[in-house]
Amino acid sequence: MWKVTLKGLLGHKVRFALTAIAVTLGVAFMAGTLVLTDTIKVIFDDLVTSVTRDTDAYVRSRDVIDTAFGEQRDRVDASVLGRVREIQGVREADGVLQFYAQIVGADGKTIGNPMGGAPTLGLIWNPGSLTAWRLVDGRGPTENDEVVIDRASAKAGKVEVGDTVSILSQQAPATFRVSGIATFGNADSAAGATAALFTTPTAQFLSGAVGRFDGIQVAGEDGISQRELVARITAGLADPAVQVITGERLTKENQDAFAQQLQFFNVALLAFALIALFVGSFIIFNTFSIIVAQRTREIGLLRAMGASRRQITLSVLAEAVAVGFLASLAGLLAGVGLAVGLKALLGAVGIDIPNGATQILPRTVIVGLGLGTGITVISALLPARRAARIAPIEALRAATTSTTKRLVVRAIMGVLITGAGVLALLFGLFGGGGVEAVGFGAFLIFLGVAVLLPVIARPVTRLIAWPLPRLRGTVGTLARENAARNPRRTASTAAALMIGVALVGFITIFASSIKASFASSIDQAFRSDYVIRTKGQGPPGLGGFSPALAREVAEVPGVEAASGIRFAGADIEGRATFLGAADPATATTLFDIEPRRGDLAGLGPTQIAVSTEKMRDEGWRLGQSLAIRFPRGPANLTIAATYGAGQRAGLFDFLISTEAYDLHYTERLDSQVFIKLEPDADRRVVTVRIQRVLRDYPNAELQDQEEFKASQTQQVDQVLNLIYALLALAVIIALIGIANTLGLSIIERTSELGLLRAVGMTRRQLRSVIRWEAVIIALLGTLLGMVIAGFLGWSLVHSLADQGLSTFRAPARELVVIMVFAAFAGVIAAIWPARRAAKIDILDAISYE
Amino acid sequence: MTTLTTTAAARAVAASKIYGTGDAEVRALDAIDVEFAAGAFTAIMGPSGSGKSTLLHVLAGLDTVTSGQVFIGDVDLSTLNEKQLTIVRRERLGFVFQAFNLVPTLDALENMTLPLALAGVKPDPEWLDTVVRTVGLSDRLRNRPNQLSGGQQQRVAVARALLARPEIVFADEPTGNLDSRSGTEVLSFMRRAVDDHGQTIIMVTHDASAAAYADRVVFLADGRIIDELVDPTAAAVFDRMKTLGD
Repeated sequence: MWKVTLKGLLGHKVRFALTAIAVTLGVAFMAGTLVLTDTIKVIFDDLVTSVTRDTDAYVRSRDVIDTAFGEQRDRVDASVLGRVREIQGVREADGVLQFYAQIVGADGKTIGNPMGGAPTLGLIWNPGSLTAWRLVDGRGPTENDEVVIDRASAKAGKVEVGDTVSILSQQAPATFRVSGIATFGNADSAAGATAALFTTPTAQFLSGAVGRFDGIQVAGEDGISQRELVARITAGLADPAVQVITGERLTKENQDAFAQQLQFFNVALLAFALIALFVGSFIIFNTFSIIVAQRTREIGLLRAMGASRRQITLSVLAEAVAVGFLASLAGLLAGVGLAVGLKALLGAVGIDIPNGATQILPRTVIVGLGLGTGITVISALLPARRAARIAPIEALRAATTSTTKRLVVRAIMGVLITGAGVLALLFGLFGGGGVEAVGFGAFLIFLGVAVLLPVIARPVTRLIAWPLPRLRGTVGTLARENAARNPRRTASTAAALMIGVALVGFITIFASSIKASFASSIDQAFRSDYVIRTKGQGPPGLGGFSPALAREVAEVPGVEAASGIRFAGADIEGRATFLGAADPATATTLFDIEPRRGDLAGLGPTQIAVSTEKMRDEGWRLGQSLAIRFPRGPANLTIAATYGAGQRAGLFDFLISTEAYDLHYTERLDSQVFIKLEPDADRRVVTVRIQRVLRDYPNAELQDQEEFKASQTQQVDQVLNLIYALLALAVIIALIGIANTLGLSIIERTSELGLLRAVGMTRRQLRSVIRWEAVIIALLGTLLGMVIAGFLGWSLVHSLADQGLSTFRAPARELVVIMVFAAFAGVIAAIWPARRAAKIDILDAISYE
Repeated sequence: MTTLTTTAAARAVAASKIYGTGDAEVRALDAIDVEFAAGAFTAIMGPSGSGKSTLLHVLAGLDTVTSGQVFIGDVDLSTLNEKQLTIVRRERLGFVFQAFNLVPTLDALENMTLPLALAGVKPDPEWLDTVVRTVGLSDRLRNRPNQLSGGQQQRVAVARALLARPEIVFADEPTGNLDSRSGTEVLSFMRRAVDDHGQTIIMVTHDASAAAYADRVVFLADGRIIDELVDPTAAAVFDRMKTLGD
């Protein structure tokens, strides 16, 4: 029996190779993701460790709050440093600060932060042994107008020791003399982040933390354990406001924080790998089904000779194991290569990952081989069972068993599974089931529609292809009928493409809705003539403009008002959230946030404005006091005004005055500056004047309303393109599936195709028949995918209505492009089968006996 | 020779077909010279491996000769490329095979008109009507092949071969898979096409009673023509076959 299995495999090399590709691609993607993230994790763990390698203890504030932008901790008073240094057992102690500081190169352009990648850091230059920074040229900063920069920035900005550079920070742009150039350990930069290192007073000034530090790094004397040191410092300081932790714990916390970010990246990529494998499973199922059908006689013969059903099933499954395992092994190897390539690619787009050994963990090998083989075997289960049901008598018939009676069962099953999927999806979106329920629901919907598809494939196929006979005559008729003749096969081939297209279409609809929502909220709220925004878009809290920019612009003749807007994390009434801050006097002339009740323009330092939606949701009332925890400590603010355009309109639910903001935050960076011109001002003249101010702020960009809208949507497009690239794999696998099915069908139809050639069909016409069949299958999958995409997009957009997603938009042009692309992809998938069909030898085909 | 070219619908001149080389060499056709008159029904007979099917295939442009020439009318098939051969088959020849004659996804009428449709030509409605009536399948035109009996399927195949008014219809064991009653139906139909419409038919068969419908029988053995009979009877053909040792 095993000999038969082996012969079966070797006898169908091409078809198994195509099946294997479907598995290999999915496994390669998954293994590549795991290897890449494992490698990055090890590298960054090393990096994080090296930052704090010599730190035995770390002193920091005990006050930490949870906000929408993550955990935020208060700073400690600088006087703590002097007290720590006097504690017995402390060998060395340094105050540390980390803040936004962007270096402007010799060419007047900012260095770093390409595409919102690694941050641009300002730091304190500590000359002691605690720092990972090593001077390679010059000396450390001794004057307050001196700076040390990292070697990568020096290279990028063509800066040398003794040169003068401008530094952008939350203070007005200022020039510094480069006193030295440093490396981070042996690396030119700290994982791609730019670094500007200053004297302590300068760093404190630039970060708005005068007299304060983020924390204090401590090295103990030899022979004192980290725990002992922590105990001594805690006792010595006797300050309930500070917390002392060991260096080991600091390292662990930093590693965990990074691992958490990486985890998100990891899960996102693995999701795409699973999608690819899911699509691949349809191809495997189809191939095994067709092969079993083609071998009906052979299997019947084996049964007649005494093979048991079990043996037949096992024989087919053994093939699946062999194919799955070999394909997974190939995928694993390809995945390692992919990881190395991806790492190089990340480096090429400016995300500099230091060198490190590629990590191939046993887990990667086990998951890769296990999942790849497992999915192959599961996909082959049904075909194997079908093979076992073949009766010995089938050996004697040219069997085409009818499956119509099973269609009713199938229809019921399909509807039930699809229905369960819809329920799970809606529960996930609206009932608080979370992203897992959404994913599971989508999976069930795909599965359910795939089960249902053979029932409706024939009529739908005929419908899709109805104009074909008129357009292409007999060629069209043949293509249409060939696509419709085996609904089960056509259905599972189309289903694979359906999944890919549904996801592509869904993400297209989702992105369009986001863009439309952006645009409508900008149209609604934008009352100013111009906005200044940062060129690179960094994470909130990192980057922006010094408030000096808004002040300078406001003084430009012809400008009526200019006001910056800031966003910051806060804990309001126990909820991690965020708020906006602006100058209340000018805010309403610059953007329309639909003031409702109270005096928005007169918002004072102890007051807050809240959106009407939030007021309604929470049951708050005007004049009520809200308990708010800021990074610098708690405060109670009174609700003094309400406004209509909250987070649902794409803005924010809480607004405080700039004055209040300055009381509670030391990090003062405007995200955007809105500008209104005087009514009779000459736009061109004023623009030139504003641009002159912006010369000192090379990270700033002046935009009018349309440009602002375009740049917002452009960001969505960037993410969209990335997702398209990741989904491309699933679509490619589906196309391989079309090629495979057609190729197998052609083998079955050899005599029929030979007849067509004999009675006068040219090779070109025959290729055309195959191509059109592929196009019909592709369109079937695409159409169904679009329907599912529409449903997924619609429900997701509606579930996010309170997150500012106000508009559902299915972009007709893009969706038509996807359709055309799918049809064209069908043509490409048909190249190989068509060529194969055209090569059929007429004599072989007609003298089949 | 030159005078004969005008009356012969098809002819082979010193046509050889050799498979394999050296010891494995098989001469399926061994320098055959044969002519087939227009408007006549010719049967080709011979034992298995005599080369009768190969002769039909090279005459019909389905296969090429190793040496020598094959003419359809005045056209030398050995000078044509694959595409030109396809056009010749589509426009000048008709085919009836033993099995796999019909495209399962097309109905009877679509199968009949297939070569015309492939050439982008509309069938002559009068002639279509005549053929359909003669075949006797007027009420089954919209049926697919799997809804037709074996004899009906072969009649559709013959109708397809005749519908394009080809110069020659080639039939390869057209009754090989049929019971005798259905076989008779198909053969009478072919005979009528010759008698009533002047159709040229060349048929390969190993059945003496089928060959008896022909005007002339050509006997092959070992790739050579060894004999022929004009206006054969089943008994005469049967006797001749026996001497060939089939």
